[in-house]
Amino acid sequence: MDQTTLVARLEAVVGPTGVFHRPADLLVYEYDGSVDGAVDTARPAAVVLPTSAEQVAAVVRIANEAELPVVARGAGTGLSGGAVAQRGGIIVSLSRMDRILDVDRDDRTALVEPGVINLELSEHTLPGGHFFAPDPSSQKACTIGGNVAENAGGPHCLKYGVTTNHVLGLEVVLPDGRIVWLGGRAAHTPGYDLTAALVGSEGMLGIVTKALVRLTPAPEATLVLLAAFGDIDGASQAVSSVIAAGVLPAALEMMDALTIQAVEPAYHAGYPLDAGAVLLIELDGATDEVRETGEEVAALCAAAGATAVRAATAKAERDLLWKGRKMALAAMGRLAPNYYLHDTVVPRSKLPITLRRVGEVAREFDIPIANVFHAGDGNLHPLMLFDRRERGAVERVLAASNELLHFCVSPEIGGALSGEHGIGTEKRDHITLVYTADDLAAMAGVKNAFDPRLTFNPEKLFPKGYMCGEVRALRAQALAQKHGIYAF
Amino acid sequence: MPSEAVGRRPEGWGQAGVASANGRPTGAPAIDGLAAGRVLHPGSAAQVADALADAVSQGLAVAPLGGGTALALGNVPDRLDLALSTAALGDVIAYEPGDLVLSVGAGARLADVQALLAEHGQELPFEAPRGDRATIGGLVATAIAGPRRLANGTLRDLLIGIAVAHPSGTVTRAGGMVVKNVTGFDLPRLYHGSLGTLGVIVSANFKVVPAPRHEATVLAVTPDLAAALAAAKSVGGLASRPGALEVMLDGEGWTVAARFFGRPGTVDSAVAAAKGVLGEGTRRLEGAASTAWWRRYVDGQAIEVGPDEVMVRAAVRPRDSGSLAEAILGVIGEHGVTSRAVSVSPGLGTVVARLGFPQAPDGAPALRRVQRALLGVADHVTILAAPPAWKAGLDVWGEPPATLDVMRALKSQFDPERTLNRGRFAGHI
Repeated sequence: MDQTTLVARLEAVVGPTGVFHRPADLLVYEYDGSVDGAVDTARPAAVVLPTSAEQVAAVVRIANEAELPVVARGAGTGLSGGAVAQRGGIIVSLSRMDRILDVDRDDRTALVEPGVINLELSEHTLPGGHFFAPDPSSQKACTIGGNVAENAGGPHCLKYGVTTNHVLGLEVVLPDGRIVWLGGRAAHTPGYDLTAALVGSEGMLGIVTKALVRLTPAPEATLVLLAAFGDIDGASQAVSSVIAAGVLPAALEMMDALTIQAVEPAYHAGYPLDAGAVLLIELDGATDEVRETGEEVAALCAAAGATAVRAATAKAERDLLWKGRKMALAAMGRLAPNYYLHDTVVPRSKLPITLRRVGEVAREFDIPIANVFHAGDGNLHPLMLFDRRERGAVERVLAASNELLHFCVSPEIGGALSGEHGIGTEKRDHITLVYTADDLAAMAGVKNAFDPRLTFNPEKLFPKGYMCGEVRALRAQALAQKHGIYAF
Repeated sequence: MPSEAVGRRPEGWGQAGVASANGRPTGAPAIDGLAAGRVLHPGSAAQVADALADAVSQGLAVAPLGGGTALALGNVPDRLDLALSTAALGDVIAYEPGDLVLSVGAGARLADVQALLAEHGQELPFEAPRGDRATIGGLVATAIAGPRRLANGTLRDLLIGIAVAHPSGTVTRAGGMVVKNVTGFDLPRLYHGSLGTLGVIVSANFKVVPAPRHEATVLAVTPDLAAALAAAKSVGGLASRPGALEVMLDGEGWTVAARFFGRPGTVDSAVAAAKGVLGEGTRRLEGAASTAWWRRYVDGQAIEVGPDEVMVRAAVRPRDSGSLAEAILGVIGEHGVTSRAVSVSPGLGTVVARLGFPQAPDGAPALRRVQRALLGVADHVTILAAPPAWKAGLDVWGEPPATLDVMRALKSQFDPERTLNRGRFAGHI
């Protein structure tokens, strides 16, 4: 199908204002939220902005006829290249499907279109006493559809779980162009849990056109503690003490000296400028429980060597403490023109050794690294600061990042390649560090079952050159030779 | 914090001990009256994979076997030659209390796992019938969960990693030992509830949580179902949210049971609030008494039936729980069956009922009619257990969803020869 025919066919589905195909209009869609050079960019043949599931399905059928790949895209805030059309084809932007269709307070659910902004859902439901718990740092811009595709996390996942724990059902356009529901309002859908397979599948199995998500009742009381420490080790010790005491905070975030120095002058959140590290510890629940637990946690921080502990219960005060954390990335502009945000997870007990390694890597590669991360669940986000105009800077940053990745997933640390950003193109060639060929074959089996022609979001997650279709997934291999080795 | 109990097999754990539904040890178990010719007890993941590959090459049909507490679940197998027991795979693989993560072999029994966690003040916020026999692998495969699902979800929500042996003779892993992980497709959750039809789960990793410091339960008896459901709704709406909330048929009347967890003071005020809503005549169970009451209640939902009995589970959106329960009572009346136990989970939208069939021994036509009637009043209906002869020809999972073709494609990717649990899962996969 030539470009003119393609555009005409697409316009017939979504109207002329729903198709972008001129190079200037496509430019922004060549990127995602990552810094230039971190992920490969690519130009799609066209971007389509449908307003209904039927339109998405029609676009998918046209793409199939034209034998073009299909890439779903939310707000484009992803950092792993998931929303970039690596092999060209059609980008389906879900940004015009942005209606909150239903909020059911009794069932504690919301039915939303994929383009609804994460924060807007919570803002919409909070006056009635509910919120949507996953809260990625990009929540002012990122969409629920994108959250589902990447299985997004956020600070409050420590207590409330990640996106997959909050998705009850999905309306999905499959790669063959059918519209189906997976899961739903009633529990115990017969058969395999296809909803689980879809969440976090990086747009490779289906395009979400509606999401039925769980709403969480707003807690009766919320307390935020700010604890300052002389160094990161002290803060790490406090994290361990809190967990060992049997306290499960709603959020437990750490920021190091470099982050504090970027954030405090910009936002006046009240972080002591001379601190080596601060912890933000949020507790929520019943009023008495929160008060008592707060006193206990404050004492634990003091015992771990906190130089100051401050408690905030009033919303304005809490918001100010959080503002520093949430704006940390933006504040980095004060320190350097560019940053590369790294995302790995290590077991909580490995935080101190991992943070020491981060410090070493910063020195070895001569890159300032700020640490601002989800300490409670071991999800590290070292921020590598650089100026990409400087020759070789991007390469140096990527090399340093590579070094850290290898360290985090090494057997002695036992971490994960990505905690919440996804694999995409950014880490596709690293996935063999954590998964064997057999492990990947099982994942290829899932891909083949949903998308046998491999048209949805190609070139993602699996290593370059990996042929899902040729993996005779889990077919019997060495069958005959193995006899009599197990006890009866 | 030092690693705890790695590779340790506590006294009595995972030793060969395949038990039949009545608790007596047995050699080769039967599923729906079909006896497996042989039972193997592989001692490693690789041995499970080898046994599966052998079975494929010999054209055998295999059923994975855990504690044998849910063998009645599923359609009558198309065929059964070999049972693969996980009894020798019950080790603690890793437990890091400071990391709140645990990895155990599939054959580990739930009660043993909870006891180990309790030594460190932690738990899986999860319960299942016959926890003293039910295994971790079986519970993941069957997606069985108890009333704490209301506040804590199921094992699906706690799973962070898994290892599975496949008919191809391979062992694959997905996820890991960290609580947040988006590396690759989320296979652990896909295996949850797949009834061993994609592979045999050989080990599973979970996030665990600090055990609540205290618990108490409020029980209130009401004259009729409508009053009980109204009361339950009020309790469910309290600021101090219950960790479990059930309504059950109990002798003549209906009982509302609300369970609260937290610090002693928090539990006290929650109980006071619940009592305020439920009115006079409530009973309060404290600490161990509360725990024991719920264990008995959950054990009452064990997936097993007598020769004239059927156990069903129906699900609707939670707000329609009341009308579902009323409708089920209507179906019971119309079809000449009796209700021996009825449990409503109003926050979850499910009803589990144990029905007596006076038509026994020939209850098949009546069960067929009851299933059809229930499918008319609920979104999903599962016949959890029934006499095998009555199940023959039925799909106990109800109507398969529109995505059955995708499910079949998944099955053929993972188990092309249909070696595992042939015919037992939804759509007779």
